[in-house]
Amino acid sequence: MIEINNLVKHYGDKRALKGISFTVNDDEVLGFLGPNGAGKTTTMNIITGFLSSTSGTVKVNGHDILEEPELAKKDIGYLPEQPPLYLDMTVKEYLSFICDLKGLKKEDRKAQLDAIISMVKIGDVTDRLIGNLSKGYKQRVGIAQALVGDPSILILDEPTVGLDPNQVMEIRKLIKTLSKTHSIIISSHILSEIQAIADRVVIINNGKVAAVDTITDLSKRLSGSSRLLLSFQGPLKDVSASIRSIPGVANVVTRNSSDKLHEVEIVISNTSADIRASIFFVMAKGGWPIFEFRSLDPTLEEVFLSITSGK
Amino acid sequence: MYAIFKREFLQYFRSPVGYVAIAIFSFLAGFIFYSQYASGAVSISSEVISLRSFFVVIVPIITMASFAEDKKRGTDVLYYTTPVDLFSVVAGKFLAALALFGIMFINVFAQMIVTVANGGIVDVGAWGSVIVFFFMAAMFISVGLMASALNDSQIVSAIVTFVIILIFQILSTISDYAKTAANAVLFSITQNNDLSVSTGEKIAGLINWFDPFARTADFRSGVFSVSALIFCLSVAIVFLYVTYRILEKKRWSQG
Repeated sequence: MIEINNLVKHYGDKRALKGISFTVNDDEVLGFLGPNGAGKTTTMNIITGFLSSTSGTVKVNGHDILEEPELAKKDIGYLPEQPPLYLDMTVKEYLSFICDLKGLKKEDRKAQLDAIISMVKIGDVTDRLIGNLSKGYKQRVGIAQALVGDPSILILDEPTVGLDPNQVMEIRKLIKTLSKTHSIIISSHILSEIQAIADRVVIINNGKVAAVDTITDLSKRLSGSSRLLLSFQGPLKDVSASIRSIPGVANVVTRNSSDKLHEVEIVISNTSADIRASIFFVMAKGGWPIFEFRSLDPTLEEVFLSITSGK
Repeated sequence: MYAIFKREFLQYFRSPVGYVAIAIFSFLAGFIFYSQYASGAVSISSEVISLRSFFVVIVPIITMASFAEDKKRGTDVLYYTTPVDLFSVVAGKFLAALALFGIMFINVFAQMIVTVANGGIVDVGAWGSVIVFFFMAAMFISVGLMASALNDSQIVSAIVTFVIILIFQILSTISDYAKTAANAVLFSITQNNDLSVSTGEKIAGLINWFDPFARTADFRSGVFSVSALIFCLSVAIVFLYVTYRILEKKRWSQG
């Protein structure tokens, strides 16, 4: 369990954090969401003891990170945005160095390393130089490094940034597995990623906590998507006019238009009514074939707007 | 500390750094020894003393990466977020660099054996020079570690180390210049020859106080002065402590 109380961090004149407080419960995945520069990494660096806060406290399982750093750090595994890897060591050498660094006893070491290696699936690369691994594997080695010493809390800073979609799926799956036995704080600026993994979300913006919410509440708040995307063939003007005449439609904005295909964004004023059926029948009646029809995912900016305006 | 020592020491041999440093040292030691050997008069102590002039090249090569590379690659996170304490990180890197000098010195020990086997002598002055060599190496390595902790560019830290060691090595020349300059300036102002000469001497004495080479000059003739060794050790400890504070400060940085 981590208790974060009123963290403030100044960088010169800039106030990066302006009083952040939240709690991470045992065995929960806490999503840490915010646009770039909101203070996610700074907060994580303070929780792990890499940086010190200007004021405020962090307690890890009851131990203050500044007053009892060794006890607090024992319980934390940290994967920074740039994994702390030595590129000219093999995976095996690197992990055994981490064991040394975290002061693991010789007799526990082999069993624990074997368990970690099979969990993060790096068994086939243990003798290769880290510098020669793909980015996905490097990220796994980074996670393995965080797992050494069997900490109860994992802090992962943007673990899927820069990975290809396959690797992203695999890392997410791995985090899911880990979440059964660990408390995890995971930061991201991608909303859907947090929705897929986390139980609870802390949204920060501009150095302040904008919202703390469970995923279900958050999705409920966002479920009535207010925009639909429609691409079709047919006369653009007529189609727009017909859709506008459907009750509940506030506006139709052309996104893309070519000879063959038009793409419009339909803004809905009344989010409680589902007007997708009406749109379909309008299109069918006009004989205008639909090529794509979906609700637009809310962007992070919209989430912020919706959260801040809802209060 | 042992964890850091082991990694850093092996790191010298994962990268070309260790091999380059050993190659340069072996070449220089071999060259000096061979030219002595060919002339028929081998003196290990004067060989070791000549080798000291190459600290200015070898030490920056060894220490430039130690902290700068960590910062650049983001691996310094490990030192701050694992239960290891920062001073043992500094100590581990320091001992690793010193141990590399130990490896290089195998050359000189082999040469000692050759000397004795050919009927030469390895006198107490030679051992004195070896002891001084390692104390000075310790001193300059700590300078290099500090320079490396200051920034995240290997080149800049190598240059800073180079300049500091160079200043140490030419302190006697600097003190000569300072003496002459002080003397001339004071004499032109006061027209008092005694005052200007004595002030010049004082300034030169002050500068020479910092000169490790002058302090340890007697070792080659077998006069072991503990105060000179304590001087080298103190300088080393001061620089290591400053290095530790630089690393510690990073955590508290506000900028």
